[in-house]
Amino acid sequence: MTPAPTLAARGVSKSFFGNPVLRDVSIALHPGRIHALLGENGAGKSTLINILSGALLPDEGVVEIDGRSFRGLNPRDAHRAGVAVVQQELGLTSQLSIAENIGLGALPRRYGLIDYRCLARRARAAMDLVGLDEDLATPVGDLPLGRRQMVEIAKALFREPRVLILDEPTSSLSAHEVETLTSLLDRLCAKNVAILYISHRLNEIMRVCQHVTVLKDGVVTADRSIEGVEAADLVRLMVGRDTGHLFPAWTPTTDRDPIVSVSGLSAGVLRNIDISIRRGEVLGVGGLVGQGQEDLLLSLYGALPASARTAEFNGRAKLPSSVRKANALGLAYVPADRKREGLHLIHNIGWNLMLPSFARAFGLSLRDRTKERALASALADRFTIKGDLTRQVQALSGGNQQKVALAKWTPAEPQVLLLNDPTRGVDVETKREIYALLRRLAGEGKAIVLSSSDTPELVHLCDRVAVMREGRIVATIEREALSEEAIVAASMGADLMRTAA
Amino acid sequence: MRSTETVRFPKFQRRTLLMSRPFLTVLIVAALWIAASFAKPGFGAFGHLRYLVELGAVVGLAAIGQTFVVIAGGIDLSVGAIITVSAVGVPLVSFAGDESGAFAALITLAAATVIGALNGIGVALLRAHPMIMTLAMATFLQGLLILLAGGSAVSAQSPLLEWLGSARPTGVPAGVLVWAVASTLSLIALHATPFGARVFALGANSLAATLSGVNVRSTTVAVYAISGLTAGMTGLLLLGMNGQGYVGIGDPYLLSSIAAVVLGGTSILGGSGTYAGSIPGAVLLVTITALITVVNASPGWRSILFGSLILALLLVSGRESRRR
Repeated sequence: MTPAPTLAARGVSKSFFGNPVLRDVSIALHPGRIHALLGENGAGKSTLINILSGALLPDEGVVEIDGRSFRGLNPRDAHRAGVAVVQQELGLTSQLSIAENIGLGALPRRYGLIDYRCLARRARAAMDLVGLDEDLATPVGDLPLGRRQMVEIAKALFREPRVLILDEPTSSLSAHEVETLTSLLDRLCAKNVAILYISHRLNEIMRVCQHVTVLKDGVVTADRSIEGVEAADLVRLMVGRDTGHLFPAWTPTTDRDPIVSVSGLSAGVLRNIDISIRRGEVLGVGGLVGQGQEDLLLSLYGALPASARTAEFNGRAKLPSSVRKANALGLAYVPADRKREGLHLIHNIGWNLMLPSFARAFGLSLRDRTKERALASALADRFTIKGDLTRQVQALSGGNQQKVALAKWTPAEPQVLLLNDPTRGVDVETKREIYALLRRLAGEGKAIVLSSSDTPELVHLCDRVAVMREGRIVATIEREALSEEAIVAASMGADLMRTAA
Repeated sequence: MRSTETVRFPKFQRRTLLMSRPFLTVLIVAALWIAASFAKPGFGAFGHLRYLVELGAVVGLAAIGQTFVVIAGGIDLSVGAIITVSAVGVPLVSFAGDESGAFAALITLAAATVIGALNGIGVALLRAHPMIMTLAMATFLQGLLILLAGGSAVSAQSPLLEWLGSARPTGVPAGVLVWAVASTLSLIALHATPFGARVFALGANSLAATLSGVNVRSTTVAVYAISGLTAGMTGLLLLGMNGQGYVGIGDPYLLSSIAAVVLGGTSILGGSGTYAGSIPGAVLLVTITALITVVNASPGWRSILFGSLILALLLVSGRESRRR
């Protein structure tokens, strides 16, 4: 006999502009259970969350809270009933402090003014739960992405929710932070909180959750206990066919000569880094989030003022001093935050694909629209970006946006591709395409630097992995010795294997 | 591999044009002209409308540079001061051997361009906020003018200025002709060259533009230089039409240039828009001014009316879209 669900949707349907997004979907969140919601990008997960939290009204069906059905649930009702959502797109105000962000919307008051003392006490308690030890007054904008995610979770906990909905909470977290989150979820579970957990990382779901609902094209394809389910089964339910392995099979190329070698590199938080990147390899960059991985990529890309003892880039003995020079030397960079750094959201897909070419071309030459369209269409075909290219990029799903961010560099034929967490918030199918692409490019003799917070990705895709901690490369692990344990151990400072960089 | 069922670039649709902001602004201008010519005989006469477009050329020229700057995510508050500098500066750089006045005009335009470029250097290299940088430049120029020209009006006569002010080849005022040529060139630069694409990239997201290899510094300097150049052209045209220049002659054109840009549908936040909207925007502004002049009111009330009308028009013809 299971207790009544805290929050449930019954027979919910929703369509946008005549396109059905959800069809007759039911889901029930029970107290003290971690419920996984799985589905590719565009399967309708976000829409379902929005309906459960009252942000959207279903066309058909009802939402029930404690057995009471609501036809027109609004965000206030949901909030009052204790439903808290941690969004995938961070909704924090970067100028405000951690404490203010956590309390925003539910600030404790005294005599009509904000009671900062009470806020500090309660915000600190919420931060302790998620393992944040930063100063309460730190502006959120100063925090790395992973820490911001933890603030977002602390913000939800501050409201002492009875239902906690987490939309891809771990996509920017390090292995260590994921551990903290997992044990936190277990504790919340014990306190009878109902949890809905959305993630693209299957092994995490297998480990953390007890129940799973799988969505495919707006229809529930599975709603069952996680016990006895194989990860491969879940993938098949999500994509509707047998997908084989996520990572491509590949054989390492031997006899690789370096295309970039730098020694004594210092920039930002980086201290005295020696690194060499070879043609035909995928060089992984791992470590806890915010240990200087981004600074490393940016300084190689000429986007961060840097100094080095010796440097050689594609035969030139100098660090590129600007992005344009880096581009001219055959480097390209795909940022982690594609919305803020990688793409021009208000411009159309075709235009975004052409931007690096515009940057390279002589400014006052005339553009050839026919050629641009042909090239953009060819790129879209090659990267399986579907549909009309005159749509704004912001209309695309996360996975497709990432494809645009990658595809736009293809015409420049970069020799060194610097990738900063390219699969963050990307669905399984797109991940597989990206992985295959990276191996193919490496096979063609390009050098690829892959910084990632997803450890399995580093293990299965890379020839070597450089692990960073506190602005230094603390270990470079060769392919034979690569394992999740080795990477995590090195990033945490437990020197299990160390080979010369 | 190319799938046949997906249309990558759908055919141009008539609805797209009808829904566009520039077209909407043209409609408003047409509606105003028709209504006003019924209300007041003589308003709709060819000569009067031609006169309105001639006045529109002054605003429209200043709005060229402003459009570039605004699309690139900045704003140029020194437009008025640069117009004054070039209108007052021509007599200062005139010399005896220059009979047509072309050299004096070229020197003035070069100086205006350099002033604009200095704005751009301040914004791009010193990282001064565009408002602060251009406002400081305007204040600096005003001081300089008082020192150089004193308070009195200067008059300048040269064949070139006379042509600008009063010639009408094939019935079209020379100012309108200059405006048409400059408009065509700027529309091409904005929409048909890589430079124009970089301007849009810079305004929509300067960080993403930098990381895509766009030379943000040179693009910034270039848009402010263009703004200086077109403000200089505006000054010359004003001098030709007025016959004399004085300190403060350019002041009214600062707000007009910005208003024309925004009325034409260019986002004040940068990144989207077109000069094709600023053209009817400029004509709309002078039309409103003319209509207010018809209303028999004191200058104070006229100014209040003008400001209120611009606000009302912006409310009607489009606020910033909320999805940013």
